[in-house]
Amino acid sequence: MTLQTKFSKEEFVILAEMNTPKGVDISDLVTNVRHLKSRIDAVVIPDMDNGVMHMSALAGGAIIRQQGLEPMIHIYGRDRNRMAIQGDMLAAHVLGIHNLLVVQGENIAHGDHQDAKLVDDLGELDLLGMVHSLLKGTDLAGFELKGKPEFFTGCQVQPIRDDDHLEEELKTAKAKVDAGAQYIMVPPVFDIAYYTQILNKFKSLNVPVIATVFMLKNVGMARYISINDPGSKLSEALITRIRKAKDRETECIHIAGEMIKELKTEVAGIKISASGWEDRLPAILDCAGL
Amino acid sequence: MITAEQKPLNEIIAYISPYDRILLVGCNECVTVCSAGGRKEVGLLASALNLHFLKQGRTIDIKEMTLERQCDPEYVEELVSEIDRADAILSMACGCGVQTIAERYKEKPVFPAVNTKFMGASESQGVWVERCKGCGDCMLGITGGICPVARCSKHLLNGPCGGTSNGMCEISPDVECAWCLIWERLKALGMENRYEEIMEAKDWRPAGGGGPRKIIREDLSL
Repeated sequence: MTLQTKFSKEEFVILAEMNTPKGVDISDLVTNVRHLKSRIDAVVIPDMDNGVMHMSALAGGAIIRQQGLEPMIHIYGRDRNRMAIQGDMLAAHVLGIHNLLVVQGENIAHGDHQDAKLVDDLGELDLLGMVHSLLKGTDLAGFELKGKPEFFTGCQVQPIRDDDHLEEELKTAKAKVDAGAQYIMVPPVFDIAYYTQILNKFKSLNVPVIATVFMLKNVGMARYISINDPGSKLSEALITRIRKAKDRETECIHIAGEMIKELKTEVAGIKISASGWEDRLPAILDCAGL
Repeated sequence: MITAEQKPLNEIIAYISPYDRILLVGCNECVTVCSAGGRKEVGLLASALNLHFLKQGRTIDIKEMTLERQCDPEYVEELVSEIDRADAILSMACGCGVQTIAERYKEKPVFPAVNTKFMGASESQGVWVERCKGCGDCMLGITGGICPVARCSKHLLNGPCGGTSNGMCEISPDVECAWCLIWERLKALGMENRYEEIMEAKDWRPAGGGGPRKIIREDLSL
């Protein structure tokens, strides 16, 4: 059953985010996928996550497909123009990659190839329009395609700074849904009550909403997020909980597992972002009872 | 200089139609030189707009002004005495001038009457050609004074490509191949060795890869 079908049947969907390697050694990626194969519904593959050069998401998606799992790949406009992206989307279809997540792409000034030339040919709404056009069998130049691709395409919400920003993001998400986004992925918030309020707002757009559970790895990371992303509502109490734990790593796994348990009844699905600790994903799912 | 061309009249009319009192502002700098938005063009555009609205049985009040430089707050300040009598501003300056006015007079809508094109030079009477992309790291010193970023259709740093033919570019018989020009120029200067040096991939950060650019001169800042 495809991800799209699961959403339409209102089955709770579990996604795990995994990055492709910076290099050609895919052993960790394959191992982590194999450990999760029967426990998750799809693997989300970012493309050049955080502006850092990695193996392309297209190859990552193909690897996930080879392992018998459903991939979801990021697409964005920073590094490729409309010709390259359309070509990659056609390639994605024939490689068995049918789930797309349209994202903004990190500013190149924050990445590891800061001297690269920006492309920025298409923005998020343009990309959604492009996918819509491909689905109808026409490219952006108006030429007919030989064979129509099939995609299940979603959009991403930016980290919410405050209530005003939430309203702005709601409007933007609505525009994206109007442009063809079939699901919405919401960034992580660590206060469940507040997160539920945010998620409910996006649920009003009548497409499946996916919450993100971000795995904290240590006190330093929690502190950094708390200071630099106040909208994430990462409380001092949560930082103290990690700091005072006998086994901090296990505590972080428990925190992620508890968040999943609480969110399960609130959203259509969750994406777990373990930022390099994908080998702990089975433990997180154990804690969540999944 | 920055080159510009007047927008189609219909587009300008669509911008200003909702308003009765227009402040039409030209600029004495680049757009005067390329005959797109100087005092003379301000007069011509005002006449064309008046005529258009008269044909529709409507009179609009167009106040004409031409500033010394629209991209300089000091000169934009001169609009203060006229701004209250205008419902909207129509600027014939480049995008820099339009934005300087928009920033200074936030309460008034500002519309562009020209399309800003490129940084170019006058090739002959009435002809301007692109010469600079503002990449922030000038390499003219090693390319014989001919810019491959601005003048090579593929922006090649090590050209020419296979599309060069008898000194012309494949995109059009009217476009010279920048790398043929560079080679001929270096040869004439006895600097062929520069052509043989392979240029590394360009650092695009000075070209704006990291976001909008800014120059801060500590010695001139107040």
